[in-house]
Amino acid sequence: MTSIDVHDLTKEYGTRRAVDHLTFRVPPGRVTGFLGPNGAGKSTTMRLVLGLDRPTSGSATIGGRAYATLPEPLRHVGALLDAQAAHDSRTGRDHLRVLAASNRIPDRRVDEVLAETGLGPAATRRVRTYSLGMRQRLGIAAALLGDPGVVMLDEPSNGLDPEGIVWVRQLLRRLADEGRTVLVSSHLMNETASFADHLVVLGRGRLLADTPMRAFIESRVRPAVRIRTSDPVALKSALAPHGHEAVERKDGHWTVPHARVDDIGRLASAAGVPILELAADEGTLEQAYLDLTAAETEFTASPQEA
Amino acid sequence: MQFAPVLHAEWLKIRTLRPLPGALVALFVTGTAFSALGGASSTSEPEFDPLFATQFGVFLGQIAAISFGAMAVSAEFRNGALRLSLAAVPQRGHWFAAKMTAIALPALAVGLLTALASLFAARVTLGPAADGLTTGEQARAVVGCGVYLMLMALFAAGLATLLRSGVTTLSLLIPFILIVSFVIGDAAGTAVEFMPDRAGQVILQQAYDGPLGPWSGLGVTALWAATALLAGAWRLRRRDA
Repeated sequence: MTSIDVHDLTKEYGTRRAVDHLTFRVPPGRVTGFLGPNGAGKSTTMRLVLGLDRPTSGSATIGGRAYATLPEPLRHVGALLDAQAAHDSRTGRDHLRVLAASNRIPDRRVDEVLAETGLGPAATRRVRTYSLGMRQRLGIAAALLGDPGVVMLDEPSNGLDPEGIVWVRQLLRRLADEGRTVLVSSHLMNETASFADHLVVLGRGRLLADTPMRAFIESRVRPAVRIRTSDPVALKSALAPHGHEAVERKDGHWTVPHARVDDIGRLASAAGVPILELAADEGTLEQAYLDLTAAETEFTASPQEA
Repeated sequence: MQFAPVLHAEWLKIRTLRPLPGALVALFVTGTAFSALGGASSTSEPEFDPLFATQFGVFLGQIAAISFGAMAVSAEFRNGALRLSLAAVPQRGHWFAAKMTAIALPALAVGLLTALASLFAARVTLGPAADGLTTGEQARAVVGCGVYLMLMALFAAGLATLLRSGVTTLSLLIPFILIVSFVIGDAAGTAVEFMPDRAGQVILQQAYDGPLGPWSGLGVTALWAATALLAGAWRLRRRDA
C-alpha cells in the first residue's frame, strides 16, 4: 500500500523557514492527525507533498514517487486544501465534473461522491449559495473523487455543524479501516483526539512528535483518579500509608494524582471506605499537547519571532 | 498524462462559467452589429477603406475577445483554484497548453463566425461602396479577423497568467487599445504600427501603405501573443502555486 514519506523536507519563503528539516512517514491503515498551531507548517507540508510548492531541500513522496510523476494523480491521492477553491459561479456538480474529466474519472463517480457527502440535493446549485459547511463537504467530495489510496485533508471539520463533524469522524475511520493512508491536519485538540490513531506534531516547521496518540498522552500526562466518598476521613487515612494523597475539589469530589484506578479502588475497598464514584481521570490530548509545547518553548527560548 | 482529457476538463471549465460563453456571445453580437453600423457611415471620407468597413466591429469585438481570454485565466487565480487544478494535472506545461487551446479554439471559431456575419451585414448597409472588393480580399479579411481575435484572446490570457490577475490585465490592455493605439496612434510614428492591435488589423484593410503587409502584420500580433504566452508559462512553471 501507499504511504506518504517526508524526508528532510525544508521550505523557505524568503528568510522565513516554514518547514524545517521535517522527516516523518504516514503509513496506510490508520488515521494520522497532523497537529500544530496555525502557522506551524502543516498546510505548507501538504502543498509540498502535492508538488504545488517546490521544496528548498529534501523530498516528499507518495509510495516512493513524487506526486507530479503520478499518472492521473486524483486516482492515487485525494486532497482537500481550501474549501473556498471551488468557483462561486459553478454548480457543485460541474465543479466535480471538471476535476473528474481531467483524470478520466466517469461522471457516475461524481454523483456517487455527491451522494456520499450529502450534497446530492444541492448538486445543481451554484457554489455561491453554499454554506461554509457545504463547501467543506464539496472539498471532501473532490478529495474522494478518484477513490484514492491516500487521503490528505487540511482542517476538514472547519465550518461543519455537529452532525457534519461526526460524519467526518466516521468517514476518516472508514477510510483508514479500508486500508487507506489518511493524514488530517487540525489545530483543534479535542477534535483530533476523537479521530486520530497516530499523531505528527509540528511546531514552527519542526517535528515535535511522531507517536501513537495514546502513547503521546500517557507519556505527557500523569493519570489521576477521581473519587467521591461519604467518608473523606476514612479515605485519606486508607490512602496515606501507601503514599497517595487525596485532594478535595470544589464540587465535592476528590482527586488522587499520579495514581491508577486499579490501585486506589483496591485500597479503598480493603479499608471499607464507602465509594460513591470512582473513575480514571485520564489525560487529554490538549493537556499532553500543552505540556509538549511548554517544554518546547523552554528549549527554544530564543529572541526569534513568536 | 494524456492531453485530450485535460483539454476536455479545461473546455468544461469554460463552458460551465457563465461569463465566458457570455463574452463569446458579446463578441459575436457587438462585432456584427458594429460592422453593420460601420458600413452605413463615413463612406465619403478620404481614408475610407471598404474592406475595413466590413470588419468595423473588430474594434469592440476585440474587447470581448480580450475579456474572454483574461477571465478564463483569472478564474484560476482566486481562492486557491489553481492549486486544485494543478493537483489534478501536475504537469504545468501540459495544463497550460490545454488551457490555452481551450481558449484559442472557441475564440477562433466565434471570431470567424463574427467576421463572416460582419461581412454579410456590412455588405447590405454598404451597398455599391463595397462592390470593388474581390473575393480574395474578403476571404482574407474574414480569416484574418478570426485569427486576429484569437490572437488577442491568447495575448490577454498569457498576460493574465504572467500577472496572475484578470483585472490587472484588462485594466492594462483595454485602455491601451482604446486610447494609446487608437487615439494618439497616428502621432507616434511607425513604432505604433508594430503594436499588437495595429499590426494585426492591417489584414482587414484593402489598401495598406505601412511597413507591414496583411500577413506579416498578423505575424507581428502572433509574436506578441507568443511572447505573452511564453512569459505566462515561465511564471507558472517557476512559481509555487
